[in-house]
Amino acid sequence: MREWRVAMATYQEFIQQNEDRDGVRFSWNLWPSSRLEATRLVVPVSCLFTPLKERPDLPPVQYEPVLCSRANCKAVLNPLCQVDYRAKIWACNFCFQRNPFPPSYAGISDVNQPAELMPQFSTIEYIVQRGPPNPLIFLYVVDTCLEEEDLQALKESLQMSLSLLPPNALVGLITFGRMVQVHELSCEGIAKSYVFRGTKELSSKQIQEMLGLTNPSATGPQGRPAAPQDPAVTCRFLQPVHKVDMNLTDLLGELQRDPWPVPQGKRPLRSTGIALSIAVGLLEGTFPNTGARVMMFMGGPPTQGPGMVVGDELKTPIRSWHDITKDNARHLKKATKYYDALANRAASNGHSIDIYACALDQTGLLEMKCLSNLTGGHIAMGDSFNTSLFKQTFQRVFSKDHNGEFRMAFGGTLEVSTSRELKVSGAIGPCVSLNAKGPCISENEVGVGGTTQWKICSLSPSTTLALYFEVVNQHNAPIPQGGRGAVQFVTQYQHSNTQRRIRVTTVARNWADAQSQIQHIESSFDQEASAVIMARLGVFRAESEEGPDVLRWLDRQLIRLFMFHLRRSPFLQVFNNSPDECSYYRHHFVCQNLTQSLIMIQPILYSYSFHGPPEPVLLDSGSILPDRILLMDTFFQLVIYHGETIAQWRKAGYQEQPEYENFKHLLVAPVDDAQEILQTRFPMPRYIDTEHGGSQARFLLSKVNPSQTHNNLYSWGQETGAPILTDDVSLQVFMDHLKKLAVSSAA
Amino acid sequence: MEAEDLYIKPGNQERGWNDPPQFSYGLQTAAQGAPKRTPLNKRVPPPQLTGSLSPVPGTSPTSTVPMTPPTNPLAPPPCSMNMPPRPCQVAAPPVGGMMMMATSPPPCHVVEHTESASDQSESEPDVVDVVTLLNWALTACRHTVKKQVCDDVAKRLKLFEDMWRSGKLSLPVRRRMNGLVQELKSWNWDAADEVHRALMVDHVNEVSQWMVGVKRLIAETRNLNSDLLHRQEVDRSLDTSSTANSN
Repeated sequence: MREWRVAMATYQEFIQQNEDRDGVRFSWNLWPSSRLEATRLVVPVSCLFTPLKERPDLPPVQYEPVLCSRANCKAVLNPLCQVDYRAKIWACNFCFQRNPFPPSYAGISDVNQPAELMPQFSTIEYIVQRGPPNPLIFLYVVDTCLEEEDLQALKESLQMSLSLLPPNALVGLITFGRMVQVHELSCEGIAKSYVFRGTKELSSKQIQEMLGLTNPSATGPQGRPAAPQDPAVTCRFLQPVHKVDMNLTDLLGELQRDPWPVPQGKRPLRSTGIALSIAVGLLEGTFPNTGARVMMFMGGPPTQGPGMVVGDELKTPIRSWHDITKDNARHLKKATKYYDALANRAASNGHSIDIYACALDQTGLLEMKCLSNLTGGHIAMGDSFNTSLFKQTFQRVFSKDHNGEFRMAFGGTLEVSTSRELKVSGAIGPCVSLNAKGPCISENEVGVGGTTQWKICSLSPSTTLALYFEVVNQHNAPIPQGGRGAVQFVTQYQHSNTQRRIRVTTVARNWADAQSQIQHIESSFDQEASAVIMARLGVFRAESEEGPDVLRWLDRQLIRLFMFHLRRSPFLQVFNNSPDECSYYRHHFVCQNLTQSLIMIQPILYSYSFHGPPEPVLLDSGSILPDRILLMDTFFQLVIYHGETIAQWRKAGYQEQPEYENFKHLLVAPVDDAQEILQTRFPMPRYIDTEHGGSQARFLLSKVNPSQTHNNLYSWGQETGAPILTDDVSLQVFMDHLKKLAVSSAA
Repeated sequence: MEAEDLYIKPGNQERGWNDPPQFSYGLQTAAQGAPKRTPLNKRVPPPQLTGSLSPVPGTSPTSTVPMTPPTNPLAPPPCSMNMPPRPCQVAAPPVGGMMMMATSPPPCHVVEHTESASDQSESEPDVVDVVTLLNWALTACRHTVKKQVCDDVAKRLKLFEDMWRSGKLSLPVRRRMNGLVQELKSWNWDAADEVHRALMVDHVNEVSQWMVGVKRLIAETRNLNSDLLHRQEVDRSLDTSSTANSN
């Protein structure tokens, strides 16, 4: 037992070091060497991978990566390859092909190794020259059916963002309400715009024709639109921000509310669907395959044209979960299908779509979420554009790293290679399939499968994919020579400074015979990574299948604590959260990295008191005490809860008296700590300052394990903790139940 | 960046329930990449399946803090004499002078350095200095930059000046614009640009109409031939010395 504990401690370090260096966390760090044994482990061999994990200590190299010459391999030279320095030959560790080094490597030797062969460069980044640098593009799509105050705040945020954009970026503006207007951005003369009806669906070609993007004088050979680099046809609608910033600032300043009057009892007519289709079509026709962000700002649901989510009669509310389960959501299927098609088009062009939705009621995120989920775009959800939550979340889209460079990256593709004993089942995250066939593809699809290449149109340093593998070695086949399986992740992308880069991560883990080494395999288990990996699978299935089935499936998984919280989380339990809210939470859950995702499943709770420094406490009602302040982080909310006595002291004003300065410090401590989180988190969370008996206390109470409910309070015989009024099952009961299930299934 | 530029305002509780506080641009950029002072990332292991609830911190009977029920007169908190070590001891926050929120003040209460009469005389920037410097840069640009652009910039600089003179610009904006032109004068283009960005983020409603002109001015001036700028420098210093002499 003690050995196992020592092994666990070492594995913790191993796991952490690997994550720090390579941005990879595997569910198992010792791999069962046979397919049969692997399937018995319930949690598949899988990993969370953060392609652009921030590595301030990793200087990129300025040459092309060396590739394996075998046509269906093309793996990149890495530290796991055998090298013959004398003959200047290297052996691919994936397909065993022997490859000669390129002429430029003539000088390499044992003591003069290229960086990519050194073990500490298991992750390495290359800067490559691939034609002229393409500028980044930001296309604003703005809803004008907003209240004056909201519109003013949004306009100011957009004007501000012109100062935050990369200086050579191209910028464009489309506004919409009942009609859709595409604004010409010129440096001189009167501003012109092209108006489209909000109800008529147009093909991409028609949109481009109507915008004059295919006019004869601008056509290249065979009547196709001229190349984007051709200055004569540089799009009038997408102009460099450093040239049009003054005019665009004025244009934004003059934007008016949609002039179409909204009768009593009606919603404004919003043609969101057409607006987006024009945005996608415009980019498709002018800058396919270059980094671009469509940033859509909406203050309410689409109410007209294709993609409408609800009609304009206020007395017909927007669909609720109840409506959906009763199959009473008229527009749901059609709208979802419409946006799904748009999302796929944008993704195949390498363009991402952000949604900034600010309204008190739902806006249709349920139908539109694919626009961001498939393209790696952001979703921000707020109550109004005139809130700090929106303004700061939006500002942080343009945040810079320690080098002063933007954190956003574009046009990403990820390719995965594996040793022969392993195949790729699929990926779950903000990506689409590139349908790349190859020898490493498993027939069992998990998530986005049937491929070893995916496209991630927009990435940040926290964007994380879950990748699922299948061990295909037959039972009783010998452990592969060398004893290790390997996976290589090759991410190509456009850096915000417009350079094209390739990041290569190559990792390996030992094979182990499950018959004789099951304890070792178990000790290599990464509970945290596995929880998130299985949770993503759960969410993926919940989005495509019936809810209750997913919960039953989840119950059969044996990662107890996290499954308990996951089960009750807004990801799977839909009461108290609207369809839009669920879509919002799920979107962030399948994009974020491990640390942030864990917070979402199992919030962090710290207790502040006079008895010592702040300490983590169990997410349990027993942690709620009169003389404690609790700080809870659920990722989407930061809650500071003052216990009953603390609240009374605060009300009595003791913090103002000099002799009770320590009480003042106590009150300030959680606020300071919350601030550190608030200063950098994306998206900006809600901030709740509440106390015992406060109406907002429900945010804390609904997250804690109700170990003391009104059913069992008096059976414990002690009066510690605050009773939670709920019939929700407690962790103890749940774990007892799970244990019974586990025992019976193994029997 | 002055201490006054690192501040936190409450969120807009009228428009967004539980709207988080708003951080100034300076505070947000300072936070990027800075190590967390007190990383809140620990969890308590769950109770064992077999047993009783594992002890939750604070439930021990040795708790010395009185827990009086609400109806009795409230005993006060422990005095400062018994103060435990302050939780956050490692690496102090970046700059002093930050105002923190302990409770939510009423909405739109801006926590900033308040103006007093003595402050005014000490640190009130001179509009003439600021405008003169901006116009110096603009004049330099007129040699090479399109007339229409320069006129547009001039229009916005005029608007800026008018707003200043009619008291429509707050002290932080005036002060920071003074800082901006000092950077321009010293050819610190990046620093000037950063000030403009900070002003756009922190005071967009005051500056949005004209700041884009300043932004363009910085961008065009930095592209100018350095000889041109030298010549302009000489002209400008001759002007100011003659003005000074005539006073």
